[in-house]
Amino acid sequence: MNTGDLPARTSRWRGTRQVVGEALLVLLAGSALGFLANCLSPRGLGLAHDFFPNEPKLPVVAITNAASEPPVIAGLKQNGLQWVDAAQARQLFNEPKYLQQQFIFLDARDDSHYQAGHIPGAFQFDHYHPEIYLAGVLSVCQNAEKIVVYCTGGECEDSQFAAVALRDAGVPNQKLFVFTGGITEWNSRHFPVETGAQNSGQLQTQP
Amino acid sequence: MNAPKTSTASAAEWFSVLARWLLGGTFLYLGAHKALHPVDFLKLLREYDLVHHYWYLNAIAAALPWLEIFCGLLLLAGIAVRGTALVAFGLLTTFTAAIFHRALSLAALKSIAFCAVKFDCGCGNGEVFACHKLTENSCLLLLAVWLVLSQSHKLCLRPQL
Repeated sequence: MNTGDLPARTSRWRGTRQVVGEALLVLLAGSALGFLANCLSPRGLGLAHDFFPNEPKLPVVAITNAASEPPVIAGLKQNGLQWVDAAQARQLFNEPKYLQQQFIFLDARDDSHYQAGHIPGAFQFDHYHPEIYLAGVLSVCQNAEKIVVYCTGGECEDSQFAAVALRDAGVPNQKLFVFTGGITEWNSRHFPVETGAQNSGQLQTQP
Repeated sequence: MNAPKTSTASAAEWFSVLARWLLGGTFLYLGAHKALHPVDFLKLLREYDLVHHYWYLNAIAAALPWLEIFCGLLLLAGIAVRGTALVAFGLLTTFTAAIFHRALSLAALKSIAFCAVKFDCGCGNGEVFACHKLTENSCLLLLAVWLVLSQSHKLCLRPQL
């Protein structure tokens, strides 16, 4: 054994230990900063909130291959939720009960998407921020006969999770309907769209 | 007689500075993008199916972007460089493995070639081709390894804690 190597080895070991120690410190400080920043940020996430309640436990492949059924429909069935297509949604929108808020629409997208264009008169319910929206929406839901929840459409599942969140908060399941086509299908059919805040009166003219 | 050695050492030192700024800048940019859109990051993270309890999913989505920003700032300023590079190496290894696994699943699901898979990996720059992202991550991993092994203190505020 070459004893001359010993100081070099000891020094290397100290160096490695120092790097690992530094890394652990950075990891701890960075994570603590992360949780603190999340708490302070208005966009922060509620850590104790399940944003994807009762999500389908089947693997994506199995869901997609199930008789060519879209995954969103499979998810709605699994969650015991009802859904409406664009024609049914439009019919509900045209009913006098819509003006009386007996039938209501809930937009489950975030604020920027809601402001950019939503179904006229729709309430906003971004279920990722229940502390902002849930209380206000619940009082309207209690008085409504039918509640139609929508998001972007396509593979978007936010309307489904928002509906489950409402059901978990006490809204009866038979009142809840998910508009699967979402705002994308609503737009593609040139139905009226309102921009800005709810009941802003700024109707977008569809080409 | 020592001129070539000195010049090589100087080039290595400058390369370390470049590696630090490149890695730090990338971490800062990608972390900031995720921190500004935490819900989008949470949804993308869920698609990886890495953790099953919502608390862990929320915790990762909440803390990871800020950890990346923190590492980015430390690397740019030259503070605790080797330790931070080791954290960056650990994060990049995890991201790369997760992206590889997800791209493999998508290739099998869509019956397309691995390099034709294009998806939003949640890395902060929208939809990307899997092969491009994996190549980019491999380069960043090499930079992180270089910094862990490097002893250069050039333009560092406090290279060791």
